[in-house]
Amino acid sequence: MELGSIHSYLVYPGRHLEEPPAINGTVVNHSGRLFEMLKKVFESAESECPHDIAFSADENGQQQNGCRDSILAYLKKPDMTHGRLLAKRLQAVTTHRSGLGLLFLMTGEEKSETKIVVSRFPADSGILAEEREKGLSVEFLERIFMKSATSYKAAVYSGKSFDSDFWRGKAGDKQINSAESYIASYWIREFLNSDFLTPGEAGTRRFANAVRDAMNRSGDIEVKDEIASLCRLLPGMKGKVLSAKGLLRHFQVSAKTQEGIQSSFKPERLFDERFRFVPDELTKFIAFKTVELDNGGLLTASTNRFDSVFVRELVDSATSRVKFSTEGTIVDQRFKKGGS
Amino acid sequence: MSFLEVAYTERYTKMLRPLAHRLEIHLKDVFEQYKRIDRVSVRAKSIPRFVAKANKLEKGVPKYSDPFNQIQDQIGARIVTFYKHDVEALASEVPKYFRHIESQLIVPESENEFGYEGQHFILFLPRDIFDDESREEESISFFELQIKTLFQHAWSEAEHDLGYKPATNLTSDQKRRLAFTAAQAWGADEIFNELFQQLNDSIEGQL
Repeated sequence: MELGSIHSYLVYPGRHLEEPPAINGTVVNHSGRLFEMLKKVFESAESECPHDIAFSADENGQQQNGCRDSILAYLKKPDMTHGRLLAKRLQAVTTHRSGLGLLFLMTGEEKSETKIVVSRFPADSGILAEEREKGLSVEFLERIFMKSATSYKAAVYSGKSFDSDFWRGKAGDKQINSAESYIASYWIREFLNSDFLTPGEAGTRRFANAVRDAMNRSGDIEVKDEIASLCRLLPGMKGKVLSAKGLLRHFQVSAKTQEGIQSSFKPERLFDERFRFVPDELTKFIAFKTVELDNGGLLTASTNRFDSVFVRELVDSATSRVKFSTEGTIVDQRFKKGGS
Repeated sequence: MSFLEVAYTERYTKMLRPLAHRLEIHLKDVFEQYKRIDRVSVRAKSIPRFVAKANKLEKGVPKYSDPFNQIQDQIGARIVTFYKHDVEALASEVPKYFRHIESQLIVPESENEFGYEGQHFILFLPRDIFDDESREEESISFFELQIKTLFQHAWSEAEHDLGYKPATNLTSDQKRRLAFTAAQAWGADEIFNELFQQLNDSIEGQL
């Protein structure tokens, strides 16, 4: 899709300010190095924005969202005035911590499809060193906007219908030092008035189902052990925004266990979708761990306490024979109906 | 057969019915651990009802300029629960598993009226129901979810059926009779809910 209109605005922080600084803007020409850089940002937006997001309903639960309205207004009439609405919106949520930023609005059309990329480049400072005939001149510079394509936040939306489309999009943060929670609150929640497309509970539930299925399907004791260890560590990831793939990589889970879990995702592409991890949802699915021995023994305990309830000792490494021991007072015992 | 009917028939057969089937399985799976759910059902909007809605006029002009994109209940799901308490409890659970763009408790406009009631959501179709072959980007985006008590469900089903009979202009007496049945359903819900709360409180008080 060809890049059409480009508008840019210099946005000073304005959160909680009664009289925020004025916002100056300009139309960006379709030539030169800046255009070439922005063209790359526009064309690669879908792959560079890993978070699937959706606009939120308003506080009364109605299908209305201020940011979406501003984006649609700009798409219908991409000019300085309509673009400034988005710049003002960004200014109203920008603190001094986020600092000065350069906002770019880029649109394109192909057939009946319209696309918009909204990106913000942070300002930095630097030193300009110039060699002259009589020596070296150094000068401190402010308001440098990094040309590097690894230092911006962006969101991309595309669709055919202004009525039904443009509710969901993708967002990303190329600023290396940005924490996941920061992009979620500043860029996604406050500026875009959006949230992750897949709610945390839904994403965790899907992940937990896949982990449980992989555990139950696998005949490999190493895979089962690794999944059990993983389940003990996962509660520490509370609130983190990661994909299933990211979670498994974070804990350096072996390739064969990763493959087992990935193949349990239906559809498999959701293995890459990011969500906020909710440990309580995991324990709904993986509450108990059961170990079955070849002598007919069955040991069951809650997943996160299994290893403290049953002490495991390797008896013979050649045959992988183990001995479990535990100590306690009997509070209940049951018979289970056997198979035919 | 009109263009609208032909196009919707194709969508109904190839897209909506398979999606509705998979969504029903997904919803049942998500809500299976919740108590007092009488049924979970999902349907693709029937061809005659879509055509009727798409051709609806408002002040003499078509209500929908782009019905295929504007009508959001082409797939409709309903969860029927026992008590009003359950409707509220389930409504607070829905946003944990589905992203919504609309959430409305629908009640009659005036306290002197009795009629349609229920908790409605417009939700994104969950990505889980698209298999590796199906093209999510070519699908509709949303479905409607209604959560109702048994009495709300029974009343709305009968009212909906009567509303689609050939003679749709009800007399004043017929409207009054419909309102009466709605009032009866509302009253039954209130009393069952009170009994449920009282008996629950007394059980908890004994523990």
